[in-house]
Amino acid sequence: MSNPALPGRSNLRRALSSNGALLAVIALLILLVLVGAGLNDRFATVSNLTNVFEQSAGLGLVSLGQTLTVLTAGIDLSVGSMMSLISTLASGLIDGDLARAAWVIPALLVLAAAIGGGNGLLIHWLGVHPLIVTLGTGTVMQGVVLLYSLTPTGAMPFELEWIAYDRFLGLPIGATITVLLFVLVALMLRYTTIGRDVYAYGDDPEAARLMGISQRKVLIFVYAMSGFFAGLAGLYLSIRFGIGDPYQGQNYTLASITPVVVGGTMLTGGRGGVIGTLFGVLLVSLLNNLLNFLQVSTHLQLVVQGLIIIAAVSIYIERKRGLA
Amino acid sequence: MLTLTGIQKSFPGVKALSDVDFEVRAGEVHALVGENGAGKSTLTKIIGGAYTPDGGTITYDGAARRWGDPAAAKAAGIHIIYQEFVLFPHLSVAENIFKGNEKKTAFGLIDHRATRKAAEEIIARLGVRIDVDERAGALSVADQQMVEIAKALIHDVKLLILDEPTAVLSEPEVELLFDLVRTLRSEGVGVIYISHRLDEIFELCDRVTVLKDGQNIATRPIGDTDHDELVSLMVGREIENYFPPKATAIDMAAPPVLHLRNISVPGRVSNVTLNVQPGEILGLAGLIGAGRTELAQAAFGVIEHDGGEVFVHGQKIDPVTPRAMIRAGVGYVTEDRKGQGLFMNLDVARNVTGASLGEFVSGWMISGRQEIRAAETEIDNFAIRCRGPLGDVDKLSGGNQQKIIFGRWTRACHAALVLDEPTRGVDVGAKAEIYKIMRSLANEGIGILMISSELQEVVGMSDRVAVMREGALSGLLEGPEISEENIMHLAAQTDREAA
Amino acid sequence: MSGATQTGAPAFGGEFFARYGIYLFLALLIAGGGLISPSFVSAGNINNMLVQLAPLGIVVIGQAFVIISRGLDLSVASVMATAAVMTSLYTSDNSSAPLIVASALAVALATGLVNGLLVTKRNVSPFLATLATAIMLQGIRFWLTSGAPSGNIPPLFKQIGAGSLGGVPISLVIFLVIAVVFWVVLHRSAYGRALYIVGGNPIAGRLVGLSSDRVIIVAYMISSTLAATAGLILAGFAGVVDNFVGRGFELDSIVAAVIGGVALSGGRGGIAGAVVGAAILIAIFNLVLLIGAPVQFQIIIKGAVIVLAAAFYVKKSKS
Repeated sequence: MSNPALPGRSNLRRALSSNGALLAVIALLILLVLVGAGLNDRFATVSNLTNVFEQSAGLGLVSLGQTLTVLTAGIDLSVGSMMSLISTLASGLIDGDLARAAWVIPALLVLAAAIGGGNGLLIHWLGVHPLIVTLGTGTVMQGVVLLYSLTPTGAMPFELEWIAYDRFLGLPIGATITVLLFVLVALMLRYTTIGRDVYAYGDDPEAARLMGISQRKVLIFVYAMSGFFAGLAGLYLSIRFGIGDPYQGQNYTLASITPVVVGGTMLTGGRGGVIGTLFGVLLVSLLNNLLNFLQVSTHLQLVVQGLIIIAAVSIYIERKRGLA
Repeated sequence: MLTLTGIQKSFPGVKALSDVDFEVRAGEVHALVGENGAGKSTLTKIIGGAYTPDGGTITYDGAARRWGDPAAAKAAGIHIIYQEFVLFPHLSVAENIFKGNEKKTAFGLIDHRATRKAAEEIIARLGVRIDVDERAGALSVADQQMVEIAKALIHDVKLLILDEPTAVLSEPEVELLFDLVRTLRSEGVGVIYISHRLDEIFELCDRVTVLKDGQNIATRPIGDTDHDELVSLMVGREIENYFPPKATAIDMAAPPVLHLRNISVPGRVSNVTLNVQPGEILGLAGLIGAGRTELAQAAFGVIEHDGGEVFVHGQKIDPVTPRAMIRAGVGYVTEDRKGQGLFMNLDVARNVTGASLGEFVSGWMISGRQEIRAAETEIDNFAIRCRGPLGDVDKLSGGNQQKIIFGRWTRACHAALVLDEPTRGVDVGAKAEIYKIMRSLANEGIGILMISSELQEVVGMSDRVAVMREGALSGLLEGPEISEENIMHLAAQTDREAA
Repeated sequence: MSGATQTGAPAFGGEFFARYGIYLFLALLIAGGGLISPSFVSAGNINNMLVQLAPLGIVVIGQAFVIISRGLDLSVASVMATAAVMTSLYTSDNSSAPLIVASALAVALATGLVNGLLVTKRNVSPFLATLATAIMLQGIRFWLTSGAPSGNIPPLFKQIGAGSLGGVPISLVIFLVIAVVFWVVLHRSAYGRALYIVGGNPIAGRLVGLSSDRVIIVAYMISSTLAATAGLILAGFAGVVDNFVGRGFELDSIVAAVIGGVALSGGRGGIAGAVVGAAILIAIFNLVLLIGAPVQFQIIIKGAVIVLAAAFYVKKSKS
């Protein structure tokens, strides 16, 4: 039941302003596919697009967790080290034995969530910016994983490779599960108290405190989620490559932030969401793929990546007025 | 239902409450009055659990309580509507109303549809028309106030605290609010009502408590007191001695030191023209939201204005930027001393010299020795109590911090000063000192534009008073016309005018 | 002193530690290190550490300027590598030196300008702005060098990077000169004061007539320029160039600055602290190696030190 006294235009405007970023990134995605199809006839084929989709699962998982920290106006710079740690430990401990995987994998996921939660707790206790806290804990984790092994070690059981390579109804299984996880987290953010509290905290932490929302609980939750999904990404990639790598996550820390901002989640917190990030991941992956087709050197692809970040952030920015 | 005894609370540099006894009964509206800084907000925050008292006891519903967090107080049925709203600007109205009390489905998930519906019912009960899907940040201030009240109504509220609720409301909205408060009272709810508007208190309240300098001066049934007694209790001294003597005569023929012509700020200020004469203190009164601060900011080049011109000593300033205004000899003291005035990271000397750095620079370098000498001069001039030029500023009292800001601007400015709430958060003793400083600056020929929400201050200090209402100038008072009544008449839209 | 000065408030222990604890810590670290491993304080090792300190010290000075402005510069490592790559782009004799320096400087100034403009005019968070320019610069660098730089470094740069004057490493001399010059700029010049005001309270800065945008842009340009200088020195020291000269310096320089008391919230800290922070980092790395611990412990200790140092300063400012 809508209030008839209110002009319909305001509803439209509101819908546009609250979902503008999402619509923009979807429009860009479509535009990209169309342009790509025009430039190269092998680009917009089902098999290529499916491949791109399959390859974006790892980045998707890390960015999914990262979105939550960014929604609280934080950031998690330990996700790359977390991936390296979990993937190396998994590969080393399992060493190709499926029976061991049955307990190692759940245990490592709990560990990842626990370390992540520890990040949240540290941020709350110390009152230090998340950037610094997670940079520090991430560095410690990187040191620890290198103590465990300096090179890729052990093996993941080949029996699990179907997760990374098989298709179900033509859809790559790992990537499809990733999308389902995105949807699950989106629903969690929308329909659970803790999910709404994440937005409230990101909007105004002090108001959240006055409303009786536990800041500690919110911080532990988002960083535990971030750790968990980084761990999951580490496991997925080690299954895909058959082995864990102590440097596996190195490039993922910063890369995980690009889809988040491209998807319209503000670094200032409180606005955005994981669905935007999902499209952000697809956009970034497709763009790299297209540039490959166009035989743009990987070097210039980096330039493009930088430009995307700047463009995304500049578009979504709220212009400040007056003193505030 | 609520009894406070011997409540104590101190902040660094300020004793906010000393030995306060206070009581609210079920089914009464208890007014809490006092000047700014008297301790009203601190007291309500203690009742609401946002602050923990340093000493004293709280008895509520027959049991001693000692809650240190807002959630516990809320659970006990105490609800505060702060002057500064506690709203999440990017969440919807419905979500804001039910934050922490979301409607759940059978599976424990949030039921957004039921939440919306319940929010619409509450809004309807308030008799206002607000779209519950709108972002709270997009509402008008009055509507935000209604959302705040709606937040209280969803609870089984036993004690409701309203902090200056009518400051942002128009007349019909005020009536609506009063009806609501009366209904709640008849339902047995205790209400603490904080307001500067004494006529409202006589209209609505059953008892009144006067706070002054963090102490409970008096608690009276409303029938046993009158307007004059409350004022004298709040001020606590003869006004004549409190404010320095006004200027004997303002030379209206002299060219104005500061001339604002047709200043407009979209949506906030419309077409205001004002003159500040040399040697005068021009009070700028009006309700909160009347556009006074925006006018000052536009005149100083902090926010963009839409047409209009600014002249200093007859010289047109173009473009209007803070730098250009300072060069021309105009300074701006903001209402938010800590957020927009002081450099908390720098010492007293660097705060004092901040607007007149040029004075200490030769070539590229700053002479630190000259800065310290200058700071020592201002410390003496304004009797700033601090640890010396190299002391920190963050732990000083509000009055001393304000004097540092005055030191900064008097060094930089010789034409005019724009003061926005110059005595906010300053204790009574320091207030008198600041009044003296302001008057002596005016006597030196500086023109002062003083924005103030304290009517006594406006009446006591101003040689002339300009009043704003809804962004426009609604009147100019001089000499004997300057009275609280006349100012309020011009500031608030009364029925008489609407007719 | 004026009569209004409050009496009976001498500096107390906590404040002393917050201000000078860092120097004390460095002294204890060196003394303790000497006790554990006498070779730690040998002339050779100290010389070795000072040579390592020079490039990091130069970068951390620039980083300090940016952090005091309330920013962050993640592009310093990329600027270092790009400047380093410049040494191999032209002829391998000294005649190309002016060209190399000019192009390194041009890259640095352009990067700093872009960073500053993004942060001020476009309101982009410093983290993302400098991250984006770092990535772009990396792409440009790879593209310029077709993936791997070839060509030789003119001998002049090798002398500057690895040579010494009367037993004192030239790079150390350059670092000390830079430190003194920028100490004066930060702590004694009108620009330095404007930086502290804008970083501490941008709104108040605007109200006293400062142009905060210009002040911030200059800070980023200083940071990039110093990073380029460090990149040239490091290239000369190594004698060969790859695309990753300076890798890790962006985070190390931030860590060193934070250890040295430069607050990420802006407006606090100084050159001396930042440089001492860099020295502590270098000394810890060196000590870990000397006592024969696995090199991984360098990383672990670095991570722990970041968090502890930040927590130390936050607690201090709250008390």
